[in-house]
Amino acid sequence: MVIKTPTIPEIQEAVKAQPRLLCRAGGSKQALSGADGSVTLDVSGLSGVLEYQAGEFVFTALAGTPLLEIEKMLSEKGQYLPFDPPLADAGATLGGTVAAGLSGPMRWRYGGVRDFILGVKFVDGEGSLVRGGGRVVKNAAGFDLPKLMVGSLGRLGVLVELSFKVFPAPQATRTLRVAFGRLEEALEACLRLAASAIELYALDFEPPAGLALRLGGLEKALEERSRRLWSFLGKDGELLEGEREARYWRGINNFGWAGGKPLVKVALTPKKIAGLEAALLHSSNPLPSSTRRYHAAGHLLYMAWDGSWTELDTLLKTQGLAGLVLAGNPLSPALGINSAHPFGERATRALDPQGKFAR
Amino acid sequence: MSKEVLQELSKLLPAGRLLTAAAALSPYQSDALTAFKAKPLAVALPESAGEVIETVRWCAKHQIPFVARGSGTSLSGGSLPIDGGLVIGLNRLNRILKLDPKERVAVVEPGVVNLDVSKAAAPFGLYYAPDPSSQPVSTIGGNLAFNSGGAHCLKYGMTSNHVLGAKVVLPTGEVVELGGESLENTGPDWLGLFVGSEGLMGVALEIKLRLLPKPEKYHTVLAAYDSLEKAGSAVAMVVASGLLPGAMEIMDSLAIEAAEAAVQAGYPQDAKALLIVELEGETLEVEAEARHLSEVIEASRAYKVQIARNEAERAKIWKGRKAAFSAVGRLSPDYIVQDGVVPRSKLGQALSEIEKLSLRYGLRVANVFHAGDGNLHPLILYDGRVPGELERGEELAGEILKLCVALGGSITGEHGVGMEKKRYLPAMFAEADIELMRKIRQSVDPHELSNRGKMFPGGEAEALVRQGLHPLEKRGVISRE
Amino acid sequence: MQHKIPVEKLGPQGETMARAVEQCVHCGFCLPACPTYQVLQEEMDSPRGRIFLMKEVLEGSLKPVDAEPYLDRCLGCLGCVSACPSGVAYGELISSYRMHQEATRRRSPLEKAFRFGIQETLPYPARFRAAALFGSLAKPLGSLLPKKLSAPLELLPSALPAARPLPELYPAEGSRRARVALLAGCAQQVLRPEINWATLRVLAKNGVEVVIPKSQGCCGALSMHTGERARALAFARKNLEAFPSDIDAIITNAAGCGSGIHEYLLLFKGEADFDKAAGFAKQSKDVSVFLSELGLLAPKALHSPVQVAYHDACHLAHAQGVRSEPRSILSSIPGLDLVEISEGDLCCGSAGSYNLEQPEIANTLGRRKAANIVASGARLVATGNIGCITQIEAALKKQSPEFRVLHTLEVLDLAYREILG
Repeated sequence: MVIKTPTIPEIQEAVKAQPRLLCRAGGSKQALSGADGSVTLDVSGLSGVLEYQAGEFVFTALAGTPLLEIEKMLSEKGQYLPFDPPLADAGATLGGTVAAGLSGPMRWRYGGVRDFILGVKFVDGEGSLVRGGGRVVKNAAGFDLPKLMVGSLGRLGVLVELSFKVFPAPQATRTLRVAFGRLEEALEACLRLAASAIELYALDFEPPAGLALRLGGLEKALEERSRRLWSFLGKDGELLEGEREARYWRGINNFGWAGGKPLVKVALTPKKIAGLEAALLHSSNPLPSSTRRYHAAGHLLYMAWDGSWTELDTLLKTQGLAGLVLAGNPLSPALGINSAHPFGERATRALDPQGKFAR
Repeated sequence: MSKEVLQELSKLLPAGRLLTAAAALSPYQSDALTAFKAKPLAVALPESAGEVIETVRWCAKHQIPFVARGSGTSLSGGSLPIDGGLVIGLNRLNRILKLDPKERVAVVEPGVVNLDVSKAAAPFGLYYAPDPSSQPVSTIGGNLAFNSGGAHCLKYGMTSNHVLGAKVVLPTGEVVELGGESLENTGPDWLGLFVGSEGLMGVALEIKLRLLPKPEKYHTVLAAYDSLEKAGSAVAMVVASGLLPGAMEIMDSLAIEAAEAAVQAGYPQDAKALLIVELEGETLEVEAEARHLSEVIEASRAYKVQIARNEAERAKIWKGRKAAFSAVGRLSPDYIVQDGVVPRSKLGQALSEIEKLSLRYGLRVANVFHAGDGNLHPLILYDGRVPGELERGEELAGEILKLCVALGGSITGEHGVGMEKKRYLPAMFAEADIELMRKIRQSVDPHELSNRGKMFPGGEAEALVRQGLHPLEKRGVISRE
Repeated sequence: MQHKIPVEKLGPQGETMARAVEQCVHCGFCLPACPTYQVLQEEMDSPRGRIFLMKEVLEGSLKPVDAEPYLDRCLGCLGCVSACPSGVAYGELISSYRMHQEATRRRSPLEKAFRFGIQETLPYPARFRAAALFGSLAKPLGSLLPKKLSAPLELLPSALPAARPLPELYPAEGSRRARVALLAGCAQQVLRPEINWATLRVLAKNGVEVVIPKSQGCCGALSMHTGERARALAFARKNLEAFPSDIDAIITNAAGCGSGIHEYLLLFKGEADFDKAAGFAKQSKDVSVFLSELGLLAPKALHSPVQVAYHDACHLAHAQGVRSEPRSILSSIPGLDLVEISEGDLCCGSAGSYNLEQPEIANTLGRRKAANIVASGARLVATGNIGCITQIEAALKKQSPEFRVLHTLEVLDLAYREILG
């Protein structure tokens, strides 16, 4: 059963009445919002910006608001979402982005979705409409429920309203793509850059041995900064500018490179990359390395996967990693090491005592 | 409490690490908010994570409430002891367990002093970004519990944005690992919930911190204004210009006077307001931004502009700012530090309202604030020996908080709710919101042992020795008998 | 901070103590500056903790004897005073408190004997010399003695330098630019008479005539800091009489004495001769300050460069605010590379007679200081206090015996004599 475009009181009613519920909006992360027999709350109608004063660099919008709409609104004022959420063109919404906990390449510069969320309003497992955080950039009152909702996959409540802080967009950007001979060399350069004073908007590792580096800032300093970056690397590369550069990153962030294959997010640290790449190469159905993309100096991997979910689950476990399936049909979207702990279990019981959102 | 029970605890700790004598306990009766005092049952000073775990398990077993504390610099009474409860002093857990310059991660014990992390990281060109004014004193454990901010939160956020993971002993004695070493995670952000939970959900034992490369260049500007409004609108102008400074701070004339007396920072003494703007980052970018900034500052009608020419001059500017709170102790025998947030565009309005309140209550108010964040720190000066002044001061403080909420802001930006603001939590959150937070706490800590009596309004254990009656007590609304 | 201290019952120092308590806002900025807190990591061994303790004792809610162990451990280094943003006059508080409490304090016979021993020897060069000579001979027996008695022995050099009595007048070289009187210092005359001689030579070279009043005695700081007010007053009065008035300044070259004299304002509070004492205090200056004000004759360039680490004596840096003058004196020597010592604000553990009374903490601090000095890279350390010199020498002896520890004026003297490097 699907409950279409409910109002907030209707969501509360539904939570009280139904034994199990699943929430969806844009449907851009099909593995997380696909029908599983529960009643589906389609909140895509819960859309619209409630408050945005450009001078405040803060906005509040309903959870079903498409990212595209927000990006458009912000760019008109020279602002942007610094966590650079993926799948905007696929119809991703603000709420879905928070629930899935997804950030994109530019999260490298200032942080991910967890670092920019300020406030949240949601319906908890008992149907109460509750609020956490606030609408100002700094706030230490009460528990940080907004952060808790990041990556919660709708299991702690139905998100209805979200507040974010935003930043001024860089006046200009340009990108340098550099190819290295070996994976180790590329990773070494990546780590060196990450620990350097050179400030990049995106620092991507493109297996097997490439880096994509996005610089941003004042137009007039960019030329000299690019030269400096070049000399830091001691290497030439391909320079992307203007429309071409924007298209390139847009493509990256809509996962066009995954070729429509099932898609997985993996959280990791740079030192795990070499081992993981080797393991993937030796898996039973290896995909070309162009179907993987490491953002944020190797802290965030999005990868296509065409093999069995059990195999990937085991593979990630062996590497000591956890993953989240965004597209595909696994038994459970959570793969790899099990990070369940009594703190999470206890807090979940408080938010959803009857397990209405459990999956 | 029977002697045997305490005896049991003392056996879990190294010799001499359980303080019970009156003189040893007395200095633990307050944190940096001395308006609140409470005498603990004992103070445990464990030296290892294992001892902390055993101590918490002892508390759980005997249902003894506890508060874990580091240097006791909370300005909201967050590390105030619980009457008859245990204080777990974590200062001896002050080891940096790991510092990986390549992956830019430091793993530290909770008693490590904030600034010591940056000192240890400095040889690698790295630093730990959050910089509460208490950073030479306050510990990472306390910073984590209260999600400490600082002057440089504008660009890179607060403590929560720099903690990657934590090993935590829950109030039940269970030990859990939250987060990890990655900037990303999958699943709910449990760590995000734990950070800033004011010690109500357990004690962090090991904390993984993200280190940042030290900015290559700082450009620190000190601009003097003949009115607070001009300084306030300068902030709005800087923000609107598309610049993203690392910090933007304002001090008013009273705060300038105090800071100057304390550390001789070289501030212009005739200024009605001082604005500190600091750009940081890559040299080439900062230099370009600096030109941009000077145009904005010029347009903001600053009557005097000073630019730090070297690190020593920069340090001097900041020293005055960071000493400002304590320095106000020179102007007045007592004062209340407030911490509220307003939307940045409402700074001017908030300040003029505060000025009116100050006149109405007949108490001086010094203003020091993180202007870029809209985070106000009004310091309400009073003389506790003058009957009624404390009460007036507290009422004025309350008015300011209500003003912040009314303007769409928050009752605390970085000091936390602690003891001081628990009665104002309902001004900011609805009953259902608070109820849910309380349910989460009780689910994690069924007996409410961990930092009992803090953050949530009312409730048990408000067993305090306070100076004078609370305004609500005077009106007969509450009673502590 | 609020308090209920019965100010009026506490005599002339009551207001001083109450004011200090009032000014403390318990912010904790003193914690990293406090040597005992750094070593012990306990609130009651921190300045703000001690303020709480003193407050409660003065208010009558805590027994003095209960607070004693923690208050006794305070070195009186005043590192907290430099660190305090609120301007709490901690030094005045603890000195007043100690003087106030000592009158009624009960001490064990051994403790009494030990303190009596210190009070009756250290301030008297002749007695101290005799005791030190005896101690030097007894050094090999140290391991057989109780800790309390063996600790002082460790600080003693294995041989005492020969006594070199000072003249009553040391004339200026060339035309006279100033006339000053020198406070010779008690322990200094015995442990390192060279410091006074170097001081005299340097002053003379700079055209300063120096009077060394024969009837002068201890400044009284040692007695004052251990709470012996009457004794301190007696010492101080003796000096008020001994020093001439036709001078430009009273020169101190031991930081402890210099700060002791500046504390006459506190010591003489409520006394009839307060003004006289205040005038005396106002006239006294550390030799480095005096020379800087006078303008220093530039030494010749060193033959080979020398690295020198400068150690801030607490009673110069924290108590008198003298930091830049000794540094600029050293930097004025061409070829001398001045280096800083990390944790430079932290006491070396000497602190008057502290290293005799609290040897364990003093030793820990000494080791820490020595390690920081060694890490500075220099092989020569300069400082402005005999207590620090003795303490640092003893600590360095174990880690780096080749190290030289000199008074700032000794370094300058060697440079003038072209035998430094």
